[in-house]
Amino acid sequence: MPLANPDCHRLFRDHDWSTSPLGAMDQWSVELKTLTSVMLGSLQPMLIVWGPSQVTLYNDGYAAMCGARHPKAFGQSFQSLWHDIWEDVEPIITAAYRGAGTSMDDIEFTMHRNGYPEETHFAFSYTPVRDPWGTVLGMFCACTEITTEVMTRRAEKTLRDRFMQVFELSPGGIAMLAGPDHRFEYANEEYYSMIGASRDIIGKTVAEAVSEVVRQGFIGILDDVYRTGEAFVARALPIELNRGPEGEMQRRLIDLVYQPMRNETAAINGILVQARDVTELRAEEARQALLSHELGHRLKNQLAMVQAIASQTLRNAPDISTARKRLAERIAVLSDAHDTILEGGRGASTVRQLVDQMITLHDDPARPRIRIVGPNLKVGSRPALSVSLILHELATNALKYGALSSPEGSIDISWRVAGNARDRFEMEWKELGGPAITGPSTQGSGMRLISAGLNGTVNSNVKMVYEPHGLRCFITADLESFQKEH
Amino acid sequence: MSTTILVVEDDGLIRMDLVDILIDRGFAVLQAGNADEAIEIMEQTPLIHALVTDIDMPGSMNGLELARHVAETRPECAIAVISGRYSPSQGALPAKARFLSKPVSEEAVARNLAELGITER
Repeated sequence: MPLANPDCHRLFRDHDWSTSPLGAMDQWSVELKTLTSVMLGSLQPMLIVWGPSQVTLYNDGYAAMCGARHPKAFGQSFQSLWHDIWEDVEPIITAAYRGAGTSMDDIEFTMHRNGYPEETHFAFSYTPVRDPWGTVLGMFCACTEITTEVMTRRAEKTLRDRFMQVFELSPGGIAMLAGPDHRFEYANEEYYSMIGASRDIIGKTVAEAVSEVVRQGFIGILDDVYRTGEAFVARALPIELNRGPEGEMQRRLIDLVYQPMRNETAAINGILVQARDVTELRAEEARQALLSHELGHRLKNQLAMVQAIASQTLRNAPDISTARKRLAERIAVLSDAHDTILEGGRGASTVRQLVDQMITLHDDPARPRIRIVGPNLKVGSRPALSVSLILHELATNALKYGALSSPEGSIDISWRVAGNARDRFEMEWKELGGPAITGPSTQGSGMRLISAGLNGTVNSNVKMVYEPHGLRCFITADLESFQKEH
Repeated sequence: MSTTILVVEDDGLIRMDLVDILIDRGFAVLQAGNADEAIEIMEQTPLIHALVTDIDMPGSMNGLELARHVAETRPECAIAVISGRYSPSQGALPAKARFLSKPVSEEAVARNLAELGITER
């Protein structure tokens, strides 16, 4: 059978004990002989410090803790072994020599027993050894390596810390309640900010710490979860919390989950609370719903407008191919007007943009015949569609029968804010130098669409006057509704 | 005497087309661009068989309020309400009134009026 401590066994055997303070081995006391025999037979690290000179003996397990000081330290004084940490060691060895044992739970050593520096942990107990008359002869120390336990504990703590971080980092409020009276054990920052950051809740029951929820029935819900083990889940639950800066009550909406927590025997011993303040989120959702509802409304109104235009076009067209061409043109005009409405966001199109679109379509840039004068006036999206359509119909009419049908003809377009109270929009279309006309050639669909006036405005009026020099058309409406975004 | 219908709609194009449709079907049609105009017309017209009104209109009352006012003051007048918005909530419309969603077809207008007992004579 191999020896338990081959290295120290050899040192022990070869040491010249006769020159040491312990004297020759056959002179040794029975206590020292017994302990050295135990030590050299044990796989546990052991140490003996003996006699007034504190001669130090140890086995291979302890030698590993001595590092490079071994084997020189074997048989020398305890102080020479631990000279660098003597301040810490001296009081406990002195205590042992005075008869008082000491145990140390966790001493850390860097050991090279596996060929690389390694953190290790040991538990020690210094035990005084006495002769039959009570005199302390020396100290015996058995060590237990607890590196694995320490590492396991550390890993558990790391894991626990990380889980704590998970709770802390959670965007929702989390709290843990213990016992049947629901005492706060833990709450993350988000939970605090939800209930009012300055509250002191840990160790208190929910009824004490957040007393305003009692009359709102939340304690009853917690009791039910604790008793039945069934989770409670609610969305957008209204709750009143004294969470204002002065502790004043605020109404909030929260998503709330209460889940039972169980101990190792599966008995319920607490409740996990998860809560999220969804007040702003819900308000935003409501705004979105309103917006999409509003868009749907607009779309339906515009479809109704297109339907009316299509119906009027078909009703008054001489034949299908003319109707098809007219309808395509009119829808294109509405589409262009939409571009200006969308370009600058809501209600950002101006009268000038709409007039310019008509000119691009109907005038010749090399020989312009349409003159325009007017201020920069914003126009709401509904009237903008009408303005575009009316200008298009007037221009089409002018090309066929009016000023633009003869080479000398021209058109003046002007618009302004009018009325004594400056509360009217007014636009004038004035044809000059065209063929003389006394009235509308036909009550065509174009003229009818023009007479429909400005969509979405109050007191809209369209007046056509047939003068010797050409057609004059006055379009007026209440300015506020003309510029308003519906 | 023909059946008289009052059309109330602030969108000139849509109103024009609705009026044309009803005239084509043989009704006598009066028109207004908002509720205030409509009330003026009604004050001067002793017999109106049906009111066809939009909801969203400028002025002192909207189409729903006009419909309720007419239901109260002229219980014999049939009422059809047209809107691009969602259907009005229960109770917002007078009991016998019809709701039509924009855009409305000629067919739907005629059918709903007929179901309210309104036909051209």
